[in-house]
Amino acid sequence: MMISRFVLAVVLAVVMFVCGTSAYLYLGSKQSKAAVPAQKPTAATPRAQALSLPGTIYLAQSGALYSLSAGRFHQLTPEAGWTMPALYPDGSKLVAVKATRSYSDVYVLNRFGTVQRQVTNNAARPRFDISDNHWSFYPRLSADGGTLWMAYDQPKYGYDAIFSIWSMPFGGTLRQGRLWTNANDYTGGDMQPVPVPGGLIYTKYDYGPDIKLVGQLWFTNRAGSAGKALTSPAEDCHSPALSPDGTQLAMICTYEKQISYLTIATWNGSSLGGRKTVVSNLLVAQPTWAPDGSGIAFLAPAVGAGEFQLWWLPKAAYMPPPPSPPPPPTPGGPHNGPLASPSPPPPVPPVKPVQVTTNNGFDATSPLAWLG
Amino acid sequence: MSSVAGGMAYFIPAAQTALEATGQVIHVTPSPSMLFSPTPSATSPVSTVTGAFTVLLLGSDDDSKFSSDHVLTQSMILIRVIPSTKDVTMLSIPRDLYAHLSTGGYGKIDGAYSYGGPGAAIATVEQDFGVHIDDYIWVGLLGLVKLIDAIGGIDVVTSNPVIDDFYPADIYGGWPYDYERVAVLAGPQHLDGIHAMQYVRSRHGDLQSDFGRSQRQQHVLMAIRQKAKQMTPEDLPAMSAAIGRELKTSIGLPKVAQLLPLAASFDNPDQIRQIVLLPPYTHGGGPDGSITPDWNRILPLVHQYFP
Repeated sequence: MMISRFVLAVVLAVVMFVCGTSAYLYLGSKQSKAAVPAQKPTAATPRAQALSLPGTIYLAQSGALYSLSAGRFHQLTPEAGWTMPALYPDGSKLVAVKATRSYSDVYVLNRFGTVQRQVTNNAARPRFDISDNHWSFYPRLSADGGTLWMAYDQPKYGYDAIFSIWSMPFGGTLRQGRLWTNANDYTGGDMQPVPVPGGLIYTKYDYGPDIKLVGQLWFTNRAGSAGKALTSPAEDCHSPALSPDGTQLAMICTYEKQISYLTIATWNGSSLGGRKTVVSNLLVAQPTWAPDGSGIAFLAPAVGAGEFQLWWLPKAAYMPPPPSPPPPPTPGGPHNGPLASPSPPPPVPPVKPVQVTTNNGFDATSPLAWLG
Repeated sequence: MSSVAGGMAYFIPAAQTALEATGQVIHVTPSPSMLFSPTPSATSPVSTVTGAFTVLLLGSDDDSKFSSDHVLTQSMILIRVIPSTKDVTMLSIPRDLYAHLSTGGYGKIDGAYSYGGPGAAIATVEQDFGVHIDDYIWVGLLGLVKLIDAIGGIDVVTSNPVIDDFYPADIYGGWPYDYERVAVLAGPQHLDGIHAMQYVRSRHGDLQSDFGRSQRQQHVLMAIRQKAKQMTPEDLPAMSAAIGRELKTSIGLPKVAQLLPLAASFDNPDQIRQIVLLPPYTHGGGPDGSITPDWNRILPLVHQYFP
């Protein structure tokens, strides 16, 4: 009898321990996924992605550069401040930024992520003031590969640290560089240079009529001239991306709010045509045209809020196929019977953006580079 | 019973933090002038709209430069919530506003908390702005960083590049008077706690200085609210462990429980009104680098949205 009571007590104790622990673990498992750290893109491979995009896309996450090709990610660099990849015009190499806590520099890497050379040298010499360091961001090469464009925080005056657009011979040094734009004081400055035939499109930050800081796209064709505004302050646009055929510009417009619209407009070489918003329900960043013109890739959180994922917008979403021509008249002379009532064309399902990745956390301030 | 015990054990850290942080007693510090012309006090709630309430949100730089509870309030945001219409109004009070302090004399309004704690900050805002404040929430800078990290970061559309060569390196550095360079780039992005703090705290590169910073603080507040909608009650222990003693509020636990579902129901950003007291409501040139208020303009505006 005593033994059976003892056994019962032990069993009860075990059951209580198991139930208590299970309840604790169960509640822990019910935590939301909101705070779960982003997965490394390579953790998804070799699982094939649901959607395979053409060519190779280069993008950044947690200070490392990755390539996405045939549905698989490859890590190109260690997590060491790498961001903003851009391609050589012939696609043979990359330029990218490596940022530390105090400065950033432009480097040349091969397509497998091996550093070939350092292009800028923005670290202040020892014992110099910390403000003698410099930032270089958004490097882009000219079509002939001879000129490097970037946003660079020079000149700056005391507390007024702003970016301006600079160009430099790609084989030379920054001392041979030219200041292209005059940024407005205490605004953040001029960013995101995109060389286009006949000039340069860039984002200028300035105070709008309501004294809020806004982004505006500008076009200039000579050094020292701000050029002309392509968008209004109220549109609050940035992140320009020229289509492969050079006839359309994709951009992000935020209308001074915590929203983000993917907008496209026609481009005639000096001005923009009518705007068309093609994505308005996501926090869109970094639109990038597919080299074959089949669509636009961009970054946005999956639902509501969260880390930024890779998305794909097929061309049919913003350039629907033209309506099919009316059927040819039936041969055989005048129609004698009752006229068939015209039937409406079958409804075309709207083409929506496709989410390519699910658990990553791509750097939404880093433009994508896409090799065809 | 053992399952219940397991569940209770799970929520113990959250309960402990909640008990420590919430329901703080406000010791309102009335100014001498308030004794003769009393304004509504914290113990006599007055709301012209049923259920409406006003909260003073305070954010402080609480690094080792300051002694505990004698910190300046770098951020003061008056928030009025009308649950029935789901209207929210956020009024940012410039930290350098030259004001009559409830503890006596005049000075920058960010000093009120330093002289008399949350009661003095509340009394100062109540007497100068002619509003009634129901409750306060105080968050330390490190608490903001940890809170944002605990909810997995926030999504913000940063309005412009925020570049600062003289940003205070006082949170994690060894020397609290040191400074560092920061560059928060523009556009939609996911910010962790440190970068969100850099975005809301930097003011050297902004022509509007504290006003620009106030606008950025409101952006981050809305982003935290948006992200919090994804959280579940099971996330509370991790969040409370992260915040620790970096949060204090006079709001009691029962009211917190009432407010959580209410916060989740506010999903129309157009119903969140953001007010920053830019010129002509204020102008520079006050004593000791302070900002001078134009009360003739400010008070009608405040009374319109904080009746």
